[in-house]
Amino acid sequence: MLRILGKASSINVRKVLWTCAEIGVHYEREDWGSGFASTRTAEFLALNPNGLVPVIEDEAGVLWESNTICRYLAGKHGRDDLLPTAPRERALVERWMDWQATDLNASWRYAFVALVRQDPVFADPAQISASARAWNANMGILERQLAATGGYAVGETFTLADVVLGLSVNRWVMTPIDHADCPTVTAYYERLCERPGFREHGRNGIP
Amino acid sequence: MLTIWGRRDAFNVQKVMWLVGELELAHKHTPAGGSAGGLDDPAFLAMNPHGRVPVIDDGGTVVWESHTILRYLSARYGVGTFWSDDPAARSRAERWMDWSATTLQPDFLTGVFWGFYRTPEAQRDGPAVTDKIARCARHMELLDRELADRPYLGGDTFGLADIPAGLNLFRYFGIPIERPSVPNVEAWYQRLRERPPYREHVMLPFDHLFGRLAF
Repeated sequence: MLRILGKASSINVRKVLWTCAEIGVHYEREDWGSGFASTRTAEFLALNPNGLVPVIEDEAGVLWESNTICRYLAGKHGRDDLLPTAPRERALVERWMDWQATDLNASWRYAFVALVRQDPVFADPAQISASARAWNANMGILERQLAATGGYAVGETFTLADVVLGLSVNRWVMTPIDHADCPTVTAYYERLCERPGFREHGRNGIP
Repeated sequence: MLTIWGRRDAFNVQKVMWLVGELELAHKHTPAGGSAGGLDDPAFLAMNPHGRVPVIDDGGTVVWESHTILRYLSARYGVGTFWSDDPAARSRAERWMDWSATTLQPDFLTGVFWGFYRTPEAQRDGPAVTDKIARCARHMELLDRELADRPYLGGDTFGLADIPAGLNLFRYFGIPIERPSVPNVEAWYQRLRERPPYREHVMLPFDHLFGRLAF
């Protein structure tokens, strides 16, 4: 049985839960993270020295880093549709996953922590506005990409890139910034709702 | 033919050049970005809509995002050495690649190398720099504990896990900042320095970047 450690509200845990829903993997999930069991304990740090969720454990061992976990699960279960094994087709998916983890994530952090988490340390209006602008600019890149594919992030079919980007779009929609006009992203957001995994773990009322 | 776009002193480009050296791939290097410019050209944006380097074109297959490029080249040209058909074996390297991209590189390259080394002293954000140097010290101590029982980050042999994280070491140990005692990291760094591709593509002088935000 697959063991998943991490609270269900964490955006990175939700990537793994949605991936499991797409594959049809059964798992046992334990609540770890702020508000639940501490990830700074020796027990948890022995699993992930970085003290972050999600962590998974199965017969092959322990694994951390959400995008790596999603790729691992797709590979383990032979889901070539979610992550192709051919190097070129695989790279087409992975580059959008890497972009989400680096550029896209970095752009929304300040605005999200200020406006949704309402952390008083993040209260500089100039930085909130710069973050919202950068976030909208990245959504513009996604808008053009989706207009080119006519369907999902990489092409006509759903892949792991849509798991990580779908959760990012949900966060963008739910964060109270002045949203750029992105009709193709909005249509994509609706299209993802055809998937039970997205309704349960993505567009579930949590930013 | 494999073509790589980017500046030789650009951090993310060096990851790719290092692996190209390890795999001994015939290639053409085209300067792009910084003073070489070209990132706004429609032809470049058609390859990478983000207008960033590195980008590769491998016989018509265009790939961007440095870590995706590393995995692509490994899958194409490094099966059995840099690439395994076993998803669990791959995941042992990939988690360190993701960690480098999301944790180590933002704190070191953006926070310290840009925030301290490249930013003119009068413009530095002192408290932010101090915080990032402390965060990097904790990252190095974490790596030191990981490397206590194995010579390379991913296991017994050099592999993809070593490239993104190991690239930071040449600059981390080369700038005047306070560092913790991390003998296992230093021994790992020494092993990396013995690799000809590391010497050729990573150990390049960077002092022209001191106090200089433009390039």
